[in-house]
Amino acid sequence: MGNGERGITELKTRSTAICFVETFRVPRSEFRLLVLAARFQLSAANSSVSRRCYQFINQGVITEQNLLIDKEFPLTTTRGVPMTQSAASAETKKFIISLTGLKPGTSSEDLVVALQRIFPRKTAEQIRGALARLPLLLTRSATEEQAKKVTGFLESKGAILRLVNAAVSAGSAPPASAVRSASTAAASPRKSEMARAAAAPQEDKPYTGVERRAKPRVHPGIGIHPMGIGEILDRSFRLLRQHFLLFFFILLIPQGTFFLFNKAAQIFLGGDVQQGMTAGMGVGLGVSVILAVMVMMILQFWAQGALIHAVSETYLGHQTSLATSYGAMRSRLGRLLGTMFLMGILMVLVPALLGIATAIAVPMLAAMGFGGTTTAILSIVLVFVGIIWFFHLLLNWLLVDKVVVLEGQGWRSALRRSKELMNIRTEQGFWKRPKNKAGLILLLGFLIGVGIHLLFQVPGLLTQMFLPGSLAGLTLTLQQILNVIATSLAAVFTAIAMILFYYDIRLRSEGFDLKAMAEHL
Amino acid sequence: METAKETLKIQTPEHVGFRYVLAGLGTRSTAFLLDTVVRGLFILFIFLAVLFLARLLPAFDPTGLFAAIPKTWFFALGVLAYGVVDLGYFLIFEALWSGQTPGKRMQNLRVIRVNGQPIGWLESSIRNILRAVDILVGFYPLGLFVMFLSSRSQRIGDYAAGTVVIVERRRNVPVDRARLRSTSKLNLPELELHLSTLEPKQYQVIRSFLQRRQAMDATHRRELARLLTRRLMKRWGISSSGDIPDESFLEEIVGIYERRRKAI
Repeated sequence: MGNGERGITELKTRSTAICFVETFRVPRSEFRLLVLAARFQLSAANSSVSRRCYQFINQGVITEQNLLIDKEFPLTTTRGVPMTQSAASAETKKFIISLTGLKPGTSSEDLVVALQRIFPRKTAEQIRGALARLPLLLTRSATEEQAKKVTGFLESKGAILRLVNAAVSAGSAPPASAVRSASTAAASPRKSEMARAAAAPQEDKPYTGVERRAKPRVHPGIGIHPMGIGEILDRSFRLLRQHFLLFFFILLIPQGTFFLFNKAAQIFLGGDVQQGMTAGMGVGLGVSVILAVMVMMILQFWAQGALIHAVSETYLGHQTSLATSYGAMRSRLGRLLGTMFLMGILMVLVPALLGIATAIAVPMLAAMGFGGTTTAILSIVLVFVGIIWFFHLLLNWLLVDKVVVLEGQGWRSALRRSKELMNIRTEQGFWKRPKNKAGLILLLGFLIGVGIHLLFQVPGLLTQMFLPGSLAGLTLTLQQILNVIATSLAAVFTAIAMILFYYDIRLRSEGFDLKAMAEHL
Repeated sequence: METAKETLKIQTPEHVGFRYVLAGLGTRSTAFLLDTVVRGLFILFIFLAVLFLARLLPAFDPTGLFAAIPKTWFFALGVLAYGVVDLGYFLIFEALWSGQTPGKRMQNLRVIRVNGQPIGWLESSIRNILRAVDILVGFYPLGLFVMFLSSRSQRIGDYAAGTVVIVERRRNVPVDRARLRSTSKLNLPELELHLSTLEPKQYQVIRSFLQRRQAMDATHRRELARLLTRRLMKRWGISSSGDIPDESFLEEIVGIYERRRKAI
């Protein structure tokens, strides 16, 4: 189809919609529905309404000026294909509806409520999480009627939707298998992305790979930019100061629970109970301890995720609370736990195997007549390899929790993504490599943590010096409480710094701060 | 709302305003760490010098003058030199380098008085003698606590001396000017007219993109270039930029804008 013909087609459909407005004095709110109606060709080109439209055009009632109204409602499909191409029969027409964004000034909570009406089985948290990872695919197989209703309803709530005729989409998009094979054939993920991007048409293309990942929602007024190590720590300190209670209480919940549980166990299991313990009681105690450890682990990871959410929200300029942060993590907790568990297993797997190999090899070598020096050197080499391997994986997977929480990825894809981020070279210089930067941040965080711990030792030492010996128990409890607070504070500071470090890498490689600014250009 | 930087505003009696960016815990810790390394090197040098004086110098001295001096004197000299380095490192450097030490210089930090004037020996002495209180038993526990509560990130020494640590504005040489030079020319006669409506903030966004694009992921780079180009074209009512790629379009815009600004 030539450009001129395409232009006429667009004019035809736009005019149809405008004719409705002009002739029937349709309220502006319903105008969108009419545009959609035109988009879906509900009014056939040869209908009486369309004929009247042409009359209006010929008489000059509908002018370019009128058509300008229509600028915000482009009537071509998102692939630049005019809707007349998708003139399949009404029975076979299916529409893909995606939510791509929110109109300025729209409350996301209104949209959450609206989406809950469409997806009653989804919780508000799940929908909020999905909204954080736009674009959101709503349906792949909406009929005309359904598409009309859904889009009309959601657009009135401020949603920006993308509608694609499934038939057109299937015809023009490259087969999924082709994309998949291209990506697996490529040597590295980065290369495969580039190859895919090069192969894809320059025009609007479906979201794939990097683009599909959650785009950070940056508040328009917020100032974010790439930072050095010192700036990352500065910003972490300032964030901690500005939202101290929020961050502190998020991490204090698991730490405090652990402390209380520990104290309760000491009180209830101390003294005579231990002496009079039977085998059954021992098993019961063991099971209880395992359960308690599991609960503690869940709490700890929940808090970790909630902290990532809270820091991310405040860094990007949004408001959040303790309940919202914990609530936001509900839907991702399982994935976070699973991914962290997988990561833990993989990290200790090789050192454990090396340990087993050493345990087997040393007696064998001794039996074969090798001296102590040989076996000692072998043991040291194996231990050294195990340690190197452990730290190599630790640095590669340092951002896994952030990827799970902020990008919604899990398991192996989260591990891969973290490794990809930690190996991106966005700056020149040895100390500016992500792994080295992360190492320095952790080192400085550790030193600041030591400072915090030392500070919290002072009151405990003073009470120990000045309170009588009969109150030693009280002094010990006070010291333990202060220790819990110090641990929470030190952990919070380093955790904030690492979250900002994660965003810094993405900021440099994705330039999402520039995208946010460009949106308001 | 979270802000990008904490600043200190100073108004002179002549009603001239200055704004300094305050250094936070991170940059100050990094500078301290670098200073600790430099101090360590100084101390290592002293240690080697004392060793040389005590062991090797008497052997090479034909007069026997050095052999007559008891070795404890050399060690006393070493301890004294260590004390001078430990206490005097910050004090002397900050006084002589107008509020900077090697670590602070590397991090672009400077100590100034709260009224914006440079510090002298007195301020340097007060803030560095009180460093012993801030540092207490190591790792600045008290200093951390006080800085946390301070709106200007001051530690006890800073409060006593009336000083603050600021980040000096970095005047970078424009990065890779050649990269901003477009190879293709836009054939849009009305572009000059449109460029007069380009605001400095918008120019900064485009320029930031052009400066940072090398570090960006290929997909995002192309997407952002397209977004910026389309925004500008929509704003200016241009339907097409011809066959020119998005990045070249932006390069050309920045180039023309800078030429116009230079001419003005």
